[in-house]
Formats: sequence, C-alpha cells, structure tokens
Amino acid sequence: MDLSLTDDQVAILDAIDTLSRPYAGASLHEAGFALPDAQLDRDLAEGGFLDIGFDPDLGAVSAALVVERLARLPQTVEAAASALIRPLLGDDLPRPLCLVEEGRTTRPVRFLREGATVLLVGPSGVSTFTATAAQVRAEAQALYGYPMATLLDVPTDRTSHAIPASQVLTRWRIALAAEAAGLLAAALDSTVAHVTDRQQFGRSLATFQALRHRLAEAQVRANGVRWLALKAAATLNPGDAALAALHAQESARATVYDFHQFFGAMGVTLEHPLHLWTYRLKALIGDLRGRGGQALAAAEALWG
Amino acid sequence: MDFDWTEQETAFRDRLRRLLADTLPDDWERFSQHGPASPALTKFAESFCGTLAEQGLLIPHWPEALGGQGLDPWHQTILAEEMWIAGEPRGGQYMNVNWIGPTLIRYGSPDQQARYLPPIAEGKALWCQGFSEPGSGSDLASLRTRAERDGDTYRVNGQKIWTSYAGLADTCFLVCRTSDDRKRGISILLVPMDTPGITVRQIPSLIGEGDIHEVFFDDVTVPVTARLGDEGQAWEIIGYSLTNERLGIPRYALARAALDRAVAVLKAQSEFDGEAVKIEAAHAAALAEAARMASYAIVDRRAKGEAIGAESSSARFATVMAERRVCEFIVEYLPEALADAHPYLKMHHQRGIVAGIAAGAAEIQLNIIATDVLKLPREPR
Repeated sequence: MDLSLTDDQVAILDAIDTLSRPYAGASLHEAGFALPDAQLDRDLAEGGFLDIGFDPDLGAVSAALVVERLARLPQTVEAAASALIRPLLGDDLPRPLCLVEEGRTTRPVRFLREGATVLLVGPSGVSTFTATAAQVRAEAQALYGYPMATLLDVPTDRTSHAIPASQVLTRWRIALAAEAAGLLAAALDSTVAHVTDRQQFGRSLATFQALRHRLAEAQVRANGVRWLALKAAATLNPGDAALAALHAQESARATVYDFHQFFGAMGVTLEHPLHLWTYRLKALIGDLRGRGGQALAAAEALWG
Repeated sequence: MDFDWTEQETAFRDRLRRLLADTLPDDWERFSQHGPASPALTKFAESFCGTLAEQGLLIPHWPEALGGQGLDPWHQTILAEEMWIAGEPRGGQYMNVNWIGPTLIRYGSPDQQARYLPPIAEGKALWCQGFSEPGSGSDLASLRTRAERDGDTYRVNGQKIWTSYAGLADTCFLVCRTSDDRKRGISILLVPMDTPGITVRQIPSLIGEGDIHEVFFDDVTVPVTARLGDEGQAWEIIGYSLTNERLGIPRYALARAALDRAVAVLKAQSEFDGEAVKIEAAHAAALAEAARMASYAIVDRRAKGEAIGAESSSARFATVMAERRVCEFIVEYLPEALADAHPYLKMHHQRGIVAGIAAGAAEIQLNIIATDVLKLPREPR
C-alpha cells in the first residue's frame, strides 16, 4: 500500500490549482444559488483535465482526485461524470454528461441543457441521447448549487452501450463520493475561517467547545469520505463504491446544517459562498435513491 | 497511490491466520470473553506468546539486533489486526510489544534493557501502565502521585486508578511527580509490582474480569536506577510512546469482523431480508471502513518515516464512531448476543464499549483535531 500521491498526480493537481487560481479569487458577492462557469469549463476541457480517466496509467484514482479538487471551487463545472464515467463510453460524446437513473427520470438533473448528453442507466441497460430544447425545462429557481433542469421526455431512439449498468452505477457512486469529499472540505474550510474570525462575547467563536467538537467531527467525516472515494476509485469494486457514496451522503446530511448554523445570520445570506458547497451537497444526497439506496447496494455487494 | 497489499504482506497475514487456527483451542471464542486481563486469558497468553516468540511473530517489528526482524509498520498493523480480530490472545502482552518495549529501547539504560527486554521478547512479561489517578484522567499532567528523592532511592506515595492488568502485572510503567512543574516535574519509574507498599484492588468492570484496578503506593521505595530517562523527562517519553501507540488497538478491524459475523448469524436465521436491517448494517460497515482508511493513512506516513501529527486523533475518533454503530446494530438486531448466544459478539461488545474512553477520551481527540488539524484558536483556560 502506498497512499501518497504519485508525481504525476501532484503535477496534475498543481496544474489545476494554477488554472483555477483566478476563479478561486473571483468576487462572489452576487453568486446566486449556482455558479456555473463556461470559461472554467472550457479551460479544463482544453487542458485535458476531464479526460485523465481515459489514460490507463492515470486511471480512476487520478480522475477522482481531479473531481475532488475541482469541487472545492466556488464555481461549478460538470466534471464528475465526465472524468469518471465517460471513460466507459468514449470521448466523442458531447459534454456535459448528465446522469439519470431509470425510473427516476422526472427528477431534476444537474447540468442538463440543450445539447447535453443524457446517460440513462438502470435494469434495461445503459443508453445515451443528446438532449433537445424541447426535452428540457430549466429549473432556474431550484434551491441547489448546480444548474438544474428537468427532463420532459425520454426518447425511445437512444444509443445503447454494451457495458453493464453495474459498472456505470459503481463509477457514479465513486464520482459522487469524490465530489462530495471536495465539497465537504471546502465547506469545512470556509466555516473554520468564519468561526475563527467572528468575535462574540469578546472572543473568537472558534474557542467555544460546542462548535469545536462538531467541526472536528465534520473533519473526521470529510477525511473518511475522501479516503473511501479514493479507495473505491482504485478498486472499482461495487461494495467499496457503495460504501463511499453512502458515507458521502450520510456525512453531507450530518454536516450541512451545522455549517450554516455556525455562520449565524450570515449563513442564510447569499453574500457568503457557503451555500455553493452545501447546496451542492444537498443535491448529491438525493442521488441514486439517497442513503437508503447506497446502503442497500452496499449490503448486496458485501453480504449478498 | 496503491491500495493493494504486497504479496509479502498477504503471506504474512495468511501465516498469522494459520497460526491462530492451529493454536487457539476449540472453545476459544467462549474463553476469550474472560477479557484480555483475566487470569485465565493471561495464563493462556503466556503460552501463546511463547509460541509467537518461537515463530518470530511476537516482536517482528523490533530491530533485528534486539531479536526482531525490523518489519515495517504495515506488518505491525497486520499483526495487530489479526490478533485483535481473534480476541487478542496475547492478553495484556500486546502493550509490551507495541510501545513499552520500543520506549525502553529508545530511553532505557543498558541495565534496564538487559532486565526488561528479554522477558518481553520471550512472551513472559506483563506490564501495567500507571497513568490515570482519581483526580487526573484526561488531564494527565495534573497527576499527584509523588516520588520524593532520598539519596539513591525515591519514596513513592499516591494512587493510580483504572489501571489495566495491574492485578497480574509484574512491572508498572509508573508516571509520577518529582517536582511541582506541571509537565517538566513528571518522571517515569519502572517499578516491580511486588515491591513492598504496593496494594492492588480490582474494580468490577463492564469489560471483563480483572481488567481495571486501583493501585495504591504507600512509602514504596524505588531505586533511582529504576527511573526511565532523566527526571522531568516523562512528558517527552510519553509523547514518543504515543507515536508507537498513536492509533492504539485496531478496533475498526474487530468492529467490521463482528458486523460480518452478526450479519452471517442473521442470514442463517433468515432475519437479514428486510431493508431496515440491511441499511443499518451498511451504515456500520461504512463507518468501519472509513476508520480503517483513516488509520491506514497514518500507518502509511509511519512507514515512510514521516511525523505523525494530529491526524491520528481523527482516525481514533473515526474508530469510535464505527465501534458505537456496530455495537448499536448488534444490540438492536441481535439482542441475544449480549446474553450468551454468540460469544464472539459479546466479546466485541464488552471491548467496544471502551473505544471512546481508553487511551485518551474521544473528547480529547476532538480537541486535538480542532486545535491541530483545523487550526482553530485554543479555548480559554
């Protein structure tokens, strides 16, 4: 076992940090609920960062590291599905890649828009189609930190892919966990900075044990989600992936309201970017039938 | 990043499992409920550790010059996992080989090493650690047991409490006060437990027979040569000891093993078919595996010779979360385990209950994470 980043992985993450530095420092005063960034998306795509999973020498672990690092940014781009699931399908499918579970097609979908590739996965198999304007209803008022839209129609004319649905679901869970790990880390960092600076009763909020212990527990959870996501990316084992996604959704549930709580009234404004991470976590909590869905998938994989 | 075990590590684990299968008696699972510190298990551990020693498996992580094989922390982790999953047939001797021996190797005088290391390496020693006192638990530096210098001896007076293994131990790793300075006034004495003036009283416990004790020191005379390191050096030495025992017992491994056993029992009883029971089991498994990976991240750093920081407290707390969830699962879905139907699960429950208390309270771990991982400003004192 060697849990250090390889030289290549260090170089990739350094390059992402360099590329994203101007975005990380952007003014967020009027960010709104979601903060998609087309320029960042283009920069990442042109730099090949979303294609790393196609390289067998770098593989899914490197792709998961990219997803985790990008999720820390206040801006959002469709990286998780592209980086981790597209390698199963081929690199000629237009991005963004939008994931839809069979039988749950009426639920809001992240990044869905005209021209996006919709991937439908379920017992019938794996298929894709390119969304038309008529099939998409943007959910501009959605309370999530992603651009969301509802799929109005699933065409019968879709491209079938000869890969098992289980492989797609496994990578979906890994992508979810990797993205959640970055979101949890960013939300935690942001909250730590706030409670350190904010003075009440003549002292920093961070000196009150009621907050310190809950934030420490959040650190334990964020750390666990990151490691389970990376391990699952390494093994591509359905059980590892389900445990990682379960721990991600459970940890999101256990922490997001605390993060806002510790911001006090600031935590209910749009003037601070905290919601960009926490409201993305809320979106991820509902993926693949939520914690119960991941738990049942894990139980099936572990114990049959 | 590589998450696979090497062939050598896998072979080492297989070898340990074969040895356990060949050596442990048929009624071992019922027997191990006596607890690691019980007279029965302590007696069994003497022969078991002797077998381990003969096969080079008691101190494989010690330096070759001292009878070990210099194996890396991954092997030490595998050894600890397999022993703890098996119900710790080494009894209290796990502590000797994990941190008391390495601490003596680092800080002991030649005479102390010659006296104490061979019995540990042969599996014939049993130590207890005289740390906690009635008024000094998490706040160890407030301890009051006093060692007054009198020529070539110390006269020790005071009381230790919740001391594991004290009833049968031959030597005490005693932390005591030699001056009033809060931390620099603390020293370590290696005290034979048959020294006149030492009284041990067992405290009935949830963990098992013979596990925790009160130890009284009444005018106990200890030669100055029994002091480990310099006067006032205890805080540094304890810090070093903790780097060897920072992760403590690999409780995540037994938690997962007990969970798997509980699920197997439920499946055999056709009681693992509802969604609720599966969901609860999966939550417990996720916490156990998260704790395992957080712990492995620390082992990886140790294996590379890197400093072990406060992240080990994060791994410790993750393990507490896992232990509790597995205990809750068993209580809820297999309540007969706490009667006597499933000795292995009962053994787990007895030991799991102390995960957040022994070797540093969970709240102390959270304090360390807050201050040293998250870098939050300290609480006012």
